[in-house]
Amino acid sequence: MPLQWLFLIVLAIATLGYVMGRRRALAAAHHDRRRLHSLPSYYGANAGLKAFVPAFLFAVIWLLVQPLVVTNTVSNMLGADVIPDTSSRGLVMSEVRRAADGLDAAVAQGFITKDRARSADADLNEVTESLKSAGQIITSELTRPILNAAQRYRAMTGAGASIMSGLVILIALAGALWGIWQAKAEFRARNVVEQGIRALLIAAASIAILTTLGIVLSLIFNTIEFFRLYPAADFFLGLNWAPSFSGRGGSSDLGVLPLLWGTLYISLVALSVAVPIGLFAAVYLSEYASPRARGIAKPLLEILAGIPTIVYGLFALLTVGPLLMQVFGEDGLGWMQAGTAVMTAGLVMGIMLIPFVSSLSDDIINAVPQAMRDGSYGLGATQSETIRQVVLPAALPGIVGAILLAASRAIGETMIVVLGAGAAARLSLNPFDAMTTVTAKIVSQLTGDADFASPEALVAFALGMTLFVITLALNVFALYVVRKYREQYE
Amino acid sequence: MYDSPISERQLTQQEIKFSARGVQVYYGDNHAIKGVDVDLEDKTVTAFIGPSGCGKSTFLRCLNRMNDTIDICRVEGTITLDDQDIYDKRVDPVQLRARVGMVFQKPNPFPKSIYDNVAYGPRIHGMARNRDELDSIVEKSLRRAAIWDEVKDRLNAPGTGLSGGQQQRLCIARAVATEPEVLLMDEPCSALDPIATAQVEELIDELRQDYSVVIVTHSMQQAARVSQKTAFFHLGHLVEFGETSQIFTNPEDKRTESYITGRIG
Ligand SMILES: Nc1ncnc2c1ncn2[C@@H]1O[C@H](COP(=O)(O)OP(=O)(O)O)[C@@H](O)[C@H]1O
Ligand SMILES: [Mg+2]
Repeated sequence: MPLQWLFLIVLAIATLGYVMGRRRALAAAHHDRRRLHSLPSYYGANAGLKAFVPAFLFAVIWLLVQPLVVTNTVSNMLGADVIPDTSSRGLVMSEVRRAADGLDAAVAQGFITKDRARSADADLNEVTESLKSAGQIITSELTRPILNAAQRYRAMTGAGASIMSGLVILIALAGALWGIWQAKAEFRARNVVEQGIRALLIAAASIAILTTLGIVLSLIFNTIEFFRLYPAADFFLGLNWAPSFSGRGGSSDLGVLPLLWGTLYISLVALSVAVPIGLFAAVYLSEYASPRARGIAKPLLEILAGIPTIVYGLFALLTVGPLLMQVFGEDGLGWMQAGTAVMTAGLVMGIMLIPFVSSLSDDIINAVPQAMRDGSYGLGATQSETIRQVVLPAALPGIVGAILLAASRAIGETMIVVLGAGAAARLSLNPFDAMTTVTAKIVSQLTGDADFASPEALVAFALGMTLFVITLALNVFALYVVRKYREQYE
Repeated sequence: MYDSPISERQLTQQEIKFSARGVQVYYGDNHAIKGVDVDLEDKTVTAFIGPSGCGKSTFLRCLNRMNDTIDICRVEGTITLDDQDIYDKRVDPVQLRARVGMVFQKPNPFPKSIYDNVAYGPRIHGMARNRDELDSIVEKSLRRAAIWDEVKDRLNAPGTGLSGGQQQRLCIARAVATEPEVLLMDEPCSALDPIATAQVEELIDELRQDYSVVIVTHSMQQAARVSQKTAFFHLGHLVEFGETSQIFTNPEDKRTESYITGRIG
């Protein structure tokens, strides 16, 4: 039975449970809802939840565990003699799986009967033929052990699916019946449903947290794996970034410093564009603009935040780069060799960050109590004096927090760098040189056809980890600063 | 008026500081002040009383043009300070506010040190030629606000760290530091405990020696204790204005009497 059907059946049972539970509760109260402990819909929801949630959870767990069990059993069935020297058990198993899938498809399209597909002494050539006519690809010659294993695989998977369907429906029915049986006037359905909803919300939150944890753990393990192959000191202190894809590891220089320098330099340029402009824009919007002007300007500014970064990247590559070349290139001052440079990427990234800085600062400036401004105006201060001497100092910690958050976005930005800053890792002070960043190099290390277990590929995880630690530290520091600021007015 | 004691009759001979004629204030369509005529005297404490929402704060804020900071607010009529129209195009509201100081309902010290709070006004108006002069202005203002002894050892501590009563006296010190001619106080004691209130009241009485003080208050006792003149507002009208003793003992208007005896408000 396909999964969709199973899902619909469980849903139908849950709906039925809802209707019956509600009706039974009303009947128990002689159709006077005032005699019920909870509203009738809660009795229905109780039955519905009891039908759906356990059955659903059971199905999910079964679907996760079944492939593991089946693969393990079938794999043990294959003797050591079946596995060629040039191959591994894993490769043979994937062949088995492919054959099993092929048989499924062939049966579904009618090229082979169910019985023939199942029989242990089926003719190998016939099976191969039917698989081919079903459009299935068979890499190597189908051998008898593999065919038998595939047949066993199909049988177990099929049986597992049937058993699961039966059990899931049974669980759903049992849950629904339990819920309906509970629907008596004095049953506290409202409280039970409340707890059920609470549990669902907790489950959602834990999935989010566990996923994060999983990502971090995989990052950590792969980083450790990398440092086993490549000395950590060379990675952190190396001044040269020159990965080689041709040879095996050892011939590559994987020093992170040029990349970190590129990251910091580009971020610095970006921030020195974004911070003044964003801050001034925020001051204008929150202190000077009339409500009408604010109503128009603020959404316009925030449109900037909605532009995908790849578009900014194109803008850097096609507009800003050539523009800078005209001024600083060979025809101009001669400082710039190519359109891709720290300056190009930094400027464009700064433009990208303006709405980020301005809308955060705007919120923070607005949070400064009006009483502060009144106090200053009441002493005969002008508007700009008030802003410079009262509003901005009061908002400063929050603004610093906003800037740090912007910095951590700048550090994590990739597309603008890939298109605007070039790909050369170099330690240089000239902002018109091409440089590259940690993020851009993570992309290029993983987009080659390198062996995934080589240090050249694994270094991506170490780079990711470095970046993660830096941005995490920045974010934590920013949040700390912002929170400290909040305490001042409460 | 002949039966009032001599001391109070002397007070009524002070010259006029503020003079308002036909003042109307609108917040959008809301007509908040309806044709107020009043003369406020120099070296006198004038109390504004009246039920909430009757326009006391609004009228007070007309006197230093603080209403200019509210977009929807519109003021009509004339208000003169020393015979000069303060709503004249040539008058700079910023200059005006240096002459007419204001203390707010909730203490609002800036998130700066106590010293910087008091020095704020003198600094922006360039009142001190050097640090010594600034120091002496700060000390004098803090002494006038009767808070010098409490803060003289921690002038560099943040003003927000003081108690409510101290903060309000700091705000008063901050206001007198710019040497205004008039001090407007909008319910300056409503956030304070009785002891701090008593200190502020005592202070107001002293400030009367040099300034014209206008105070909005919800407490009849406070109005009676600190003021020489009282104005009673009701629904945007100035219902009655006169000697404080007169208003509290022998009001002319029925509404004043009802309010004072606690029947409206
Ligand atoms: N900033 C404002 N915007 C709009 N209406 C206001 C504003 N301030 C006061 N008002 C209105 O003006 C009227 C008088 O208010 P206010 O002067 O604060 O009264 P009071 O200080 O006597 O309690 C009220 O109706 C109030 O709603
Ligand atoms: Mg008020």
